[in-house]
Amino acid sequence: MLKQIISPLIFLIFAWFVVSSDDAKTIISGIAIFLIGMHYMENGFKLFSGGTLESFLEKFTNTTPKAIGVGFLSTAVVQSSSLISVIIISFLSAELIGLTQAVGVIFGSNIGTTTTAWLVSSFGLKIKIAQYAMPMLIFGVIFQFSRHNSYKGLGSVLIGLGFIFLGIAYMKEGFDTLKEGINLAEYAMTGYSGVLVYLSLGAIATVIIQSSSATMAIIITALASGQIDYINALSLAIGANVGTTVTAILGSLASNRNGKRLAVAHFIFNIITGLVAVLLIYQLRDLVEFLAPYLSIAQNDYAMKLALFHTIFNVLGVLLVTPFIRPLVNYLQTLFCVKEKGRGQVKYLTEEVMQIPASALEALRKETIHLYDKSLEALVHAMNLHRSEIFSEREIPELVELSNETIHVDINRVYQEEIKNIYSEILRYSSQTQAYMDEEDNNKVYELKLTARNIVEMVKDIRELQKNLNYFIKIKNNYMINEYNKLRREIVTILRSIQQIRDTDFDSAEIMTELEVLKEKAADNERKLNQGIDKLIRDNKIDPKMAASLINDVGFMHSICKKLLKVAAVLWVKDKEIAELGDEYEY
Amino acid sequence: MSIKSLLEQLDDFFDLSRKKQRKKREKLDKLIVSLEEKKATLKRKIRRETHKEKNSKKAYNLCKEFKAISRIIKKAKKRADLISKVDCC
Repeated sequence: MLKQIISPLIFLIFAWFVVSSDDAKTIISGIAIFLIGMHYMENGFKLFSGGTLESFLEKFTNTTPKAIGVGFLSTAVVQSSSLISVIIISFLSAELIGLTQAVGVIFGSNIGTTTTAWLVSSFGLKIKIAQYAMPMLIFGVIFQFSRHNSYKGLGSVLIGLGFIFLGIAYMKEGFDTLKEGINLAEYAMTGYSGVLVYLSLGAIATVIIQSSSATMAIIITALASGQIDYINALSLAIGANVGTTVTAILGSLASNRNGKRLAVAHFIFNIITGLVAVLLIYQLRDLVEFLAPYLSIAQNDYAMKLALFHTIFNVLGVLLVTPFIRPLVNYLQTLFCVKEKGRGQVKYLTEEVMQIPASALEALRKETIHLYDKSLEALVHAMNLHRSEIFSEREIPELVELSNETIHVDINRVYQEEIKNIYSEILRYSSQTQAYMDEEDNNKVYELKLTARNIVEMVKDIRELQKNLNYFIKIKNNYMINEYNKLRREIVTILRSIQQIRDTDFDSAEIMTELEVLKEKAADNERKLNQGIDKLIRDNKIDPKMAASLINDVGFMHSICKKLLKVAAVLWVKDKEIAELGDEYEY
Repeated sequence: MSIKSLLEQLDDFFDLSRKKQRKKREKLDKLIVSLEEKKATLKRKIRRETHKEKNSKKAYNLCKEFKAISRIIKKAKKRADLISKVDCC
C-alpha cells in the first residue's frame, strides 16, 4: 500500500522539480539523451560487429593479461561495460571461455569504462560537440534504412554517438547557466567526511541512473563549470565506481550462476579499488598533479585531471587484485553451486547463453552432443552391449558374439524420461534464437535441429530392432543370431569410429574422408547382408517370416548407420566448407 | 535517386560476400589439390596391394577410401565451379 503511494509521489515531486527549474530540466534532459545514446550504441554494436566482437572476445582471452587487455579494448571501443558483461556471461555459460578469463575481461572492462571520462573531458568540453551530433544523427537514421544488419548497426552506433554528444552538450549548458543562479561549489566539503559524503552521493547517483559513464559525464561537466570542488569530484568518481557494483548485483539477480559469480567478482574488485582510492585519495591527487604536465594537461584543466585520476585508480585496482585472481576464482567457484541436474535435463541451454548468436550456437551444438550421448546409451543397451565394451580395444566380432545376454532396457521409457525433454528443449531454444540470427547462423541452427531429430529417430529405429534381436536370442535360432550379430557389428563399428573421431584431433578433411569411407562400407555391407539373407531363404535355413523380420531390421540398421554418419558430420566436422561436402539433408 | 536505391548502391559497394566467396573458393581449391595428391598415393598403394593379393582386406579398404576421396573431390569441384559462376555474374 505504502509502496503504491510512495512511488507516484516521488515521481510527482521529480516532475515538479524538472518543470519548475529550467536548468534542472536542461541537465536532466542531457542525462536522458546521454542514456538513450548509450542504449543505441550498445544495440548498434551488437548488430554492427556481426560476430566480430564476440569472436574477438572468445579468441584473445586465453591468458589473464590478454583477457584484461581485451576487456579494456572492447569496452573502450563499445563504450558499454554492460554489453561486454552480457557477452561474457553468455560465453561463460556456453563454456566458450573459463571463469578466470571472464574475470580478467571484467577487470579490463573496468579500465575500459574510464575512457568515457577521457572522451567527455577532452572532446566533450573542448569542442562544440553538439555540432558533430547533428550529422551523426542524420547519417545514423539514413543507415537505419539499409537491409544489411551491419549498416543498421552502424546507423545505431552513429545515432548513439550523436545522442551522447548532444547529451553532454545539454549537461554542459545546464551547469553553465545554473552557475549564474546557484553555486553548488558553496556546498563543498573538505576532509575525509567530505570524501565519504560525496562518495555516497556518487554511488547513489549511479544506482539511480544505472550507468557509471553517465555519472562520470555529469561529474565532469559539473566540475568543468566550477559547480563542484575538485577533491569532491574525485570522491564522486570513486562513488560512481562503487555504485556500479549495485547495478551489477541487481542485474545478476535474474541471471544464472555465472552471472552471479561475475557480479561478485565485480563487487570485490570495485570495493577493494574504492577502499584503496579513498585511503590514498590525497596521494593519488598528488600523483595526478605530478603526471599531468607529462600528458600535456593544463594546470587548471580539472576535468582532464579527473579523467586521469579515474584511470589511475582503476589501473591500480587491477594491479592489486590481478595477482589474487586464482584464489578469487577458486572462491567464486564455491558460490552458487547448484545440485547436479537430474537425468533428462538440459546441460547447456540457458536464457543467458541465448543472448549472443555465437554462444547460442555453441550451446546448441553441445546440447545436441549431450542428446547424442544419452541416445548412445539407449542404442548400446538395446543391442545388449555396454559402452565400456564398445569403446574398448577388444575385437568387434568377438565382443558382439560374447554379448548374448539380454539387457532389459525399456527404450520407450528411456525415450520419455531421458531423451524427449532434451530434444524438446533443443527445439524450443533453437526456435527462440532463430528469430534474431542472420541467415547463415539460422541455417546452422536448422541443421542442428535436424541432427537432433536424426538422433531421436535412431532411438526409435533401435527399438524396433531390439524386439526381434531379443526374440531370436530367446528361441535360440543360431542362423538368426548370427545374422543379428552382423547387424550389431555394423553399428558398433560406426559407433567406435565416431568415438575415435571425437577423441582424436583430426582435421575436418580427415574426418570427412573417414565418414565417407564408413558410408561406402556401410552401403556395401547392407548389400552383402541382403544377399546373405537370400541365400539363407534358398537353403531353407530360415523361414520367410524370419526373413521378413531380418530384412526389415537390416533396413533399420542401415538407417541408424546413415544417421550416425550424418550426425557425426554435423557435430564434429567443424570446417563449414568441408562439412558441406558431405551428405545434404534430404527432408 | 531515392534513399532506398542510394542505400542499395552503397550496400553493393561495400558488399563483403564476394570476398567471402573468393575465400571459400580458395579453400576449396586447396582442399582439391591435397585430396588429389592423396588420391594419387592411394592409387599407387592399391596397385601394389592388388599385385600382392587381389582380394585382400587391405586392398578392399584402400579401394573404399579411394572411392570416398573421389566423391569428395567431385563434390568440391562442383561447389567451386558454382562459386565461380556466381562470382562472374
